[in-house]
This record gives sequence, structure tokens and C-alpha cells, in this order.
Amino acid sequence: MARSKSILTEARQIERAVMLIHLGARLQVLESETDLSYERLLRLYKEVAGKSPSKGQLPFSTDWFMTWQPNIHSSLFLNTHEYLNKVAALDEIDTVIKAYQLYLEQMQSQGLEPLLSVTRAWRLVKFVDNGMLTMTKCRKCGGHFVTHPHEIARHYVCGLCNPPARAGKGKPAVRCDLDADAAPAGASLLALAGGRPVGGPAPGPRG
Amino acid sequence: MNTEQILAEIREANLSYLMLAQSLIRIDREQALFRHGVSEDTAALIGTLTPAQMMRIATTNTLLCRFRMDDDVVWNLLTNHGKGAANDGMSRLHASILLAGRHQEAA
Repeated sequence: MARSKSILTEARQIERAVMLIHLGARLQVLESETDLSYERLLRLYKEVAGKSPSKGQLPFSTDWFMTWQPNIHSSLFLNTHEYLNKVAALDEIDTVIKAYQLYLEQMQSQGLEPLLSVTRAWRLVKFVDNGMLTMTKCRKCGGHFVTHPHEIARHYVCGLCNPPARAGKGKPAVRCDLDADAAPAGASLLALAGGRPVGGPAPGPRG
Repeated sequence: MNTEQILAEIREANLSYLMLAQSLIRIDREQALFRHGVSEDTAALIGTLTPAQMMRIATTNTLLCRFRMDDDVVWNLLTNHGKGAANDGMSRLHASILLAGRHQEAA
């Protein structure tokens, strides 16, 4: 019964849970990262979010992190996470929270839709801890990107240095309801008119 | 700009920088380390500066903060050198990823 003995510890955990709920975390994240009971977390969730948490399983596949745009967002988050990990001594979940806040800020400042949810970000860190995902240095730009382990580092080129042929083409138009902010209106028009890649650096030198 | 103006502008910029740095450190120390790219020791020091100390440190003929990108890769991404405006968003993201990966400079 005595889950958390110290009231101070409990207060800290509730504070953490509230922050995670604000960031949009699923209930499973809270259950895993705090010692609070399911019932209390459920009540807390309803109190903070004003609605019941979404049900169903968490996405468990690493594939999502490998697709082009999600990979870029995940890499930005994970680089930030690693930065905080290196320079500050924080509890793991606090590092995730702070790195995710910084990621959200960056999305806001660049006018982009955050594709990475806090649940996915948390999941990503777990995948890296378990060795199911890692970061590999891009041979061209020297940045570190989320990859499967055992990527041949000598030959790895990131999705930004070498975007897939169809990167950005047509996509913004199809998904404008999802990330209208992600693609500037002018840019998608350009893409429609000229078939020019939007949202990714040109594959080769262009004029 | 004459010398007096230059000195005044530099002091102004330094003071703004120090004040912002201090409030960011007081709001969230760890995130401030990321934002400023400074070490924990430096952050601790800035966090405890008094206004008089800040004023004294700011009054000099050099800027206290420096650019965090000193290589062509990041500069080219940020200035979008040789690329169309359509790629602007992705180039900035790319630059953010590269800058976020540079923790060795802070430690």
C-alpha cells in the first residue's frame, strides 16, 4: 500500500505528472515514471486535462522514427536530450521533459508543427536505452541522427543531406490539414507549379 | 559611430545579455545551459552576479557572448547559401540539429 513514503517525493511526482499531462503525455508514461497509483493518476489526468485520457496501446514500433520527417524531428529532440544529459545531472524523466519543452520552443520559433509527441519522445529515449535505436553521425554534415543500431557509420548520410526523391513533393498539399504551418503557402504553390522539392535541401547543387 | 557610441552600444548589448542569461538561469538552470551553451560552473557564476558586478563586467570594449557556429556547414544552412527559399524551413531545422549536437563545447 505504501507506495511513496515521503510526502515531498510524492509532491515532486505529482508536479512531474502534471507537467507531463500538460505536454500531452499518455497515461502509460505517467504510470511508468511515477509511483502514483493508477486511480490517482486517472483523477489527476481528468483534473488537469479536463478529459479522460486516450485509451489503447502505445505505439511500439521503431519504424515511425525512421520515416523522413519524423526522423528529423526525433533527431532534433534526441540531440537536445543528449545535450542536457551531458551538461546537467537530472533524473531521466526530467531530462525528457526539459528537452521536449526545448523541442516545442524550437518548433514554435520556426513556425513548424511539432510532429513528435511527448509520448513518442519518451518512447524514443527508452528505445535508445534498450539499444533498439541509436544515433549515427552523418558523413556529410557531421550531425547525429536517429538510426537503427549497426548502421554502417562510414557510409551513413542523413535524411537532410540526402532527402528521398519525393521528400516534400506533394506532401504538404495532401496533409495541409495536419501541418498547415509546416509548409509556407508560397512554397507549396511553387512545388505544385514546378515540381520543385519543398521541405528538403536540393539533392544536388542548384542555382 | 564614434568610439563613445561604440562603447555605449557594447555595454548595452553585454548588459542585456547578462541580464537575460541570469533570468534564464534562474528560471530553469538546465535549459539555460542548453540555451547559452555554457558550462555549469559558468552558469552558477552568472546566476549569482549582482547588478553592480554585471554593470562592471559589461563595461568593456569587447562583446561577452560569441557566435556558437564557427563552421561553414551551419552558416550555409542558416543563410541558405545556394538554396531556394523553399528549403528554408528544413535548412533551419538542419542547423538546429547540428547546433544541438554540440555539447562538447559547453562542457
